[in-house]
Amino acid sequence: MDQSHIRNFCIIAHIDHGKSTLADRLIERCGAIRGTAQEQMLDSMDIERERGITIKMAAVRLIYKAQNGETYQLNLIDTPGHVDFTYEVSRALAACEGALLVVDASQGVEAQTIANAGMAMNQNLEIIPVINKIDLPHADIDRAREEIEAAVAIDATDAIPCSAKSGIGIDEILEAVVHRVPPPAGDPEAPLRALIYDSHFDSYQGAIAYVRVKDGSVKKGDKIVMMSTEAKFDVDTTGHFGPGMTVNEGLGCGEVGFITAAMKSIGDAQVGDTVTKMPDLATEALPGYRKALSMVFCGLYPSDGDQYEDLRDAIDKLRLNDAALQFEPETSAALGFGFRCGFLGLLHMEIAKERLEREFGLDLILTAPSVDYQITWKGGKVEHISNPTDFPQPHELDLIEEPIVEASIMVPNEYVGAVMTLCQERRGVYTRTEYPTPQRVILHYTLPLGEILLDFFDKLKSNTRGYASFDYELAGYQPSDLVKVDILLNGDAVDALSFIVHRDFAYNRGRAMVEQLRKVVPRQQYEVRVQAALGAKIIAADSIKPFRKNVIAKCYGGDVSRKRKLLEKQKEGKKRMKQIGSVELPQEAFLSVLRVAE
Amino acid sequence: MTAVAVYVHIPFCPSKCGYCDFNSYAMTGEIVERTARAIAQEIRQSPWRGRPAKTIFFGGGTPTYLSESQLIPIIEAVLETHPPTADCEFTSEANPGTVDMPKFAAMRRAGVNRISLGAQSFARQDLIRLGRVHQAPEIVRAVGVAREAGFDEINLDLMFGLPGQSMAGWERNLEIALSLGPTHLSLYGLTIEPNTRYYKLHLRGMLDLPTEDVHVAMYDRAMDAAEAAGLQQYEISNFARPGSQCQHNLAYWRGEEYLGYGPGAVGCFQEDGRRHRYTVLKHPERYCQAIEQGTGLWFDEEWLDEDDLRLEELMLGLRLNEGLSPTIALAERGLKKVLDRGWVEQMDNRLRLTRSGRHFCSEVAAELA
Repeated sequence: MDQSHIRNFCIIAHIDHGKSTLADRLIERCGAIRGTAQEQMLDSMDIERERGITIKMAAVRLIYKAQNGETYQLNLIDTPGHVDFTYEVSRALAACEGALLVVDASQGVEAQTIANAGMAMNQNLEIIPVINKIDLPHADIDRAREEIEAAVAIDATDAIPCSAKSGIGIDEILEAVVHRVPPPAGDPEAPLRALIYDSHFDSYQGAIAYVRVKDGSVKKGDKIVMMSTEAKFDVDTTGHFGPGMTVNEGLGCGEVGFITAAMKSIGDAQVGDTVTKMPDLATEALPGYRKALSMVFCGLYPSDGDQYEDLRDAIDKLRLNDAALQFEPETSAALGFGFRCGFLGLLHMEIAKERLEREFGLDLILTAPSVDYQITWKGGKVEHISNPTDFPQPHELDLIEEPIVEASIMVPNEYVGAVMTLCQERRGVYTRTEYPTPQRVILHYTLPLGEILLDFFDKLKSNTRGYASFDYELAGYQPSDLVKVDILLNGDAVDALSFIVHRDFAYNRGRAMVEQLRKVVPRQQYEVRVQAALGAKIIAADSIKPFRKNVIAKCYGGDVSRKRKLLEKQKEGKKRMKQIGSVELPQEAFLSVLRVAE
Repeated sequence: MTAVAVYVHIPFCPSKCGYCDFNSYAMTGEIVERTARAIAQEIRQSPWRGRPAKTIFFGGGTPTYLSESQLIPIIEAVLETHPPTADCEFTSEANPGTVDMPKFAAMRRAGVNRISLGAQSFARQDLIRLGRVHQAPEIVRAVGVAREAGFDEINLDLMFGLPGQSMAGWERNLEIALSLGPTHLSLYGLTIEPNTRYYKLHLRGMLDLPTEDVHVAMYDRAMDAAEAAGLQQYEISNFARPGSQCQHNLAYWRGEEYLGYGPGAVGCFQEDGRRHRYTVLKHPERYCQAIEQGTGLWFDEEWLDEDDLRLEELMLGLRLNEGLSPTIALAERGLKKVLDRGWVEQMDNRLRLTRSGRHFCSEVAAELA
């Protein structure tokens, strides 16, 4: 199709503001899908649908006959909604010329709305504000409009009121996309430059690159080159999503679609990379490429040591599909052989664990998540450490630095105090306040990444009755007085339970950790002493009394099935226990750190 | 046709005790009469009609809650449907306070040859807290009446670890019970079951239960006292004079077939090379309707696979002093662990719990599973 009839756009929204439902309605309206009852069509992985969040992006080509009688090709590019996946969002935006900014009519603008809209503006996208859920009782369209103008600084007079759920305003949105989003620029005669904005791995076709052709065109048989790695591949197929994968004749200038080229792993089709082709190679790559950056690290171990090789295979396969997942082998005195893995964030970590367990039938133990610390040893050597086990002794080091973030928290006026208290508890440093609307403010804080990893967001929500919203970006490292707290069971340190914490919090966290372990570790045949230690000094201690009996008094004909099921459960529980010295620990024990951040 | 164990459930009690999670109802009037008739009808229509009975057990609830004219027809129905073998053990549970000479005599005449009395305790406070309708003198009287009616085989049920119970109180109970000369004793540690009044009280911390250490010591004391009185332990909670073990309950623990009649009764039988287990409709009203209208009686049926059978054999076999069959497969690591801890021993090629292991029966089963 000629460039003037192509529109590439995406939908940006705060989580739960109705992005997926709106996408469903647009797809339905254009007849891309007939007779499918499956809601939320863009989210194709089970986990995505269950969690109601979009992890991997997809793109759907819609054929829309506009009111002016012309037929347009609209490419709707979906974006992940969670802050863990910010980089992927920025790449998706780079593939578009326009964005629908969806705001919930009763919730108004949220921190993520602002962050994503800011990103879209930086990419020079045409932003079309859409006010969703106008049929809900608490909808306030005027207020939403005011907030958009005040907080995002765009004209919201033409904001389109809609209800994705009831199908109100869908035609208006499609017309606005046609008339307000500019057609793609780009030179069809120039050497090929296509941006990889996402990719996925298919066991038969290899890595599949989702691309936006910026200049030139690409078709079957072309010899393509990845500009960051200079790897060369022969294109097997090109196609688009309708929303299923549909092979086509080629992708022209301005179009969105996919390329398969027998690429063996997802690393061959890295998000953000530029594809060009022989013989006329482009000289300059499209801007913005960077390698995915891990923010959170944890140890992944099989509960059954015999499954180590299976775990390695599973992570290898998962990585084909998830370029952001990083891993290297490590060993733990307590848990044996496993892997140190890096993730984009906690959500990414949980999803990866769930996929490994679900798709590969593994039973895993996760150690406490940690961030990446920068250590300067005596003598000047600088090293990055993300495993508490490797944490140096105080006399060995010169300086410890921890990663920090610039956080923005949007909150109704009455909760400002609560948010400030929380940020101070988490070692936050206040930078400034913005007043985008009369009712709400944006607080800016510099916070240690390690302090917001665990339950910061939950606390923020509960301290503000759910009204606060939160966004952050990494802002380098800063020196900090950090110490390692060890946990001892019957006198032996269990490396997998150690954690790093600011010196001022060591006592409280140590005590909370001991308390938590006392709750989750079942009674054993012997008394178990649980201690937290800072160096050689015990800072908290408790004990788990031994059990003296475990016997069912009565068992007759009628009880047998029920008691057998109980036994099955106990047997499963035993299998999931990890023997550490003389003590048996359940999986939850290793995640205790997550529960004690207070 | 091989002889089989037959169970009949009478789902009524004068009142519902606080700890009880059995299928029993404190109902009176017409429904009791209807249910009694329905049970007799269910037995007479049995698909296993003609299969001999090697043991018969009337449990509940309280079988003796029924009047003579309600109970005897059910007994007759069983004996006609399942001709008893020559040495057939025929037990009925009975609660002191619901029995008298005419009823015991009629039961004996009808064919019952073993009585199991739900004594539970001889201490006034215990009995009140448990919600029992009887007191100690009635237990003593019931034992005497049963003997007089011609019952040689008499079991007493007692419970330990009761709210407010002391070690001294428990010892006194054991002493009185043994002085009555029963041929069989069932000594149960109180277990707080979900869906009971005790459970709710326990959650609120309102049950003054003995500590775990005291509970364990009470069980040890029970084993000592029974043994000293010539009652040998043959199962976790059961003790008997030689030759007086309850053959019916042994059928459960040895994984044999058993048939169940009456509301909530469970049966387990072999058919088409598979082991089936079923549960009869539990509520008397719905049970009666199903019998009267000829609709389905079983609300739950399962087929047991190899794994299920193995787990059950393990779980039940460990309860018995005779121990596990030598052919059963055991988890190696777990076996080493429980042997090291001294919880099990090999005896005539069979693995069985040691005395200390009896406190950890469930733990051992989970390790070996």
